[in-house]
Amino acid sequence: MRILIVEDEPDLLHGLAKALREEGYAVDTAADGDDGLYKAETWSYDAIVLDVMLPKLDGWQLLARLRKSKKTPVLLLTARDGSRDRVRGLDIGADDYVVKPFDLAELLARLRALIRRTSNQTSAVLEIGAVRIDTASRKVALAGSSVELTAREYGLVEFLALHRGEVVTRTTLYEHLFDEDDSTLSNLLDVHVSNVRKKLGHDFIVTRRGHGYSIEG
Amino acid sequence: MFLHSIRWRLQLWHGLILLLVLAGFGFTAHRLQHLNELRRVDQELDHRVNVLLGEIRQGPPDRRPPGEGGRPLTMDEGRPPGGPRRGPEGGGPPRRQAFRLAQEHTDLFAGTDSNAFYYVIWRRDGDEMSRSSNAPPSIAQPKRGESGQPQRTIRSHGEFREAFHFTPPGECVVVGRSLQPEFARLHQLALRLSGLGAIVLGLGLAGGWWLASRAIRPIDDISAAASRIATGDLSHRISTGEADNELGQLASVLNSTFSRLEAAFAQQARFTADASHELRTPLSVILSQSQMALARERPAAEYRETLEACQRAAQRMRRLMESLLELARLDAGQEAMKKLPFDLARLTGEVVDLLRPLAEARKVTLRSNLATAEGLGDSERLAQVITNLVSNAIYHHRPGGEVNITTRRDEAGVTLIVADNGPGISPDHLPHIFDRFYRADTARTTSHGHTGLGLAISKAIVEAHAGTIEVESSPGAGARFTVRLPAGAGADSSHKSETPPGGPGANSRQADDGAK
Repeated sequence: MRILIVEDEPDLLHGLAKALREEGYAVDTAADGDDGLYKAETWSYDAIVLDVMLPKLDGWQLLARLRKSKKTPVLLLTARDGSRDRVRGLDIGADDYVVKPFDLAELLARLRALIRRTSNQTSAVLEIGAVRIDTASRKVALAGSSVELTAREYGLVEFLALHRGEVVTRTTLYEHLFDEDDSTLSNLLDVHVSNVRKKLGHDFIVTRRGHGYSIEG
Repeated sequence: MFLHSIRWRLQLWHGLILLLVLAGFGFTAHRLQHLNELRRVDQELDHRVNVLLGEIRQGPPDRRPPGEGGRPLTMDEGRPPGGPRRGPEGGGPPRRQAFRLAQEHTDLFAGTDSNAFYYVIWRRDGDEMSRSSNAPPSIAQPKRGESGQPQRTIRSHGEFREAFHFTPPGECVVVGRSLQPEFARLHQLALRLSGLGAIVLGLGLAGGWWLASRAIRPIDDISAAASRIATGDLSHRISTGEADNELGQLASVLNSTFSRLEAAFAQQARFTADASHELRTPLSVILSQSQMALARERPAAEYRETLEACQRAAQRMRRLMESLLELARLDAGQEAMKKLPFDLARLTGEVVDLLRPLAEARKVTLRSNLATAEGLGDSERLAQVITNLVSNAIYHHRPGGEVNITTRRDEAGVTLIVADNGPGISPDHLPHIFDRFYRADTARTTSHGHTGLGLAISKAIVEAHAGTIEVESSPGAGARFTVRLPAGAGADSSHKSETPPGGPGANSRQADDGAK
């Protein structure tokens, strides 16, 4: 899952980015509205955490312009808890909001819920055959026994599971699993896929030659 | 108690006055009518007495000498010529003379109903000489007056009105009439007047109530509007339909008061919202950083990073709190500005020296042209203003720019000008630049820790010195801040020098401010 954080307070930006990376997300950051809009329009993020008060282009404007081209889920960070501001944000096209100061756990939970909703999942737990994926605790179990996955491996499994039945291209996987700072080689993806297959069974991830990968529902 | 109600009191007084007027009018009308009636009756009585006197003088008509009806009265009229009638003073036993009313006058005393006139004539010795058939039996003979002169007197006794006359020979003539018809008429009149009065009073009270209600209704409106406003609906206004009268004027005065109140409240609410907004971001930093750090075991360097971030956030909150408190104190006028002599040039020179390293770091040249400008004021606070203006000019400048700082003194007072050739301020932002938490950029320009209150505080300080602060700018042409402080007692400054103006100690605080 790849997330964009647009926030102008450097300590908050770094703190959030670090916290999200620890949760296994690929995280891009932008410190002003212009940079944020550019990144949001260029990449396909799974979610955007957007502060309202930003230099150059504020959160409302960024959101309004982004909505002309993309439906990326947006979580607004607002320092104003007036309901008018919340309504305005939701009306412009925000999918959820968190009022500052927020609890990190709440922000993470809302982000998970947001991503789950966009892939039409209602539950935090995904079951595919004998594999059980708990997106809240980021744990995977095969036939009832827990399986240890690295953060990247888990990210791959979760993304494919959320898009199960679809063929996901390698490009898409790169876009969603690695952030702008990752200098990954293309075969790294194959390594992760192969590792997941070893842990969860060879048929868990199907390779579509020339197209990509998929998990069959 | 309804007596406390203005409407009831108005009604009470109004009713009372109306009642008094009506009663006075009614009583007067009744009294006049009464007198009128009596006068009319008295005239009639008079006339009849005269007739009777004439009869008495002439004697009974059958003995009257023919052709003498029109003879003028004389003093001895009691004894007509030919003397068949003799008064008691006449010689010989007086002949008991009978009196009979002439035929042509009988209808004057005819009838027996209550408005018929009657008469009684007594002789001098008290014997009744004649009496009309309708005379009530209870009539007393009037006493002859002391003077003994012929006189006419009117008396009322009981329901009767009587006129009596003593002739010189001593006969006493009483003509009377019952006043019953007059009394009845007057009674009728009294009833009518009372009825009319009651109707007028009723109408008057109803009209008064209506008027009072109309007069009071705007007050009710005002009171209702004021209570709505008191309960927090500040946008409510009194409707001033008829704005011409006194209450309309009161309503518009109140409305403008409410408007100012609402504006003040809105400003306060916005300020509070802005302040809380400014506090939320550093609080978010502290919360998210600490929660993340506590989520798992980490190497010491990471804890250190987290603590540093928390410290920065806390410092920012502290600066904000201090600025807010300072503004609050300035607003409340609690901290009176000191009135000590200072030299604006020296003060500015010190601030410029302190800020020079910052300017160099940002590649901005500071040029100062400082002419001695002595005035009276709080040098520490003024140094804060200078620091704020100069550091703003440095921060908002582009590298390679210049900031010119000028001080001078003229008759009006002392002037400080901080001008830069930087990017300037757009006309949209210019009018708001001194507003609290107003930022030309929507960013929290946290990079150099401004609270968004610096210019607002500067303005408050300058205004507490009865001075003015102005800004001129156009985009691309730089900005020019001008602070003017009135001379006030500035001329005296040369004579007083109790405390040296803002020394280095005073400036240590400004150095902190400059780092904001």
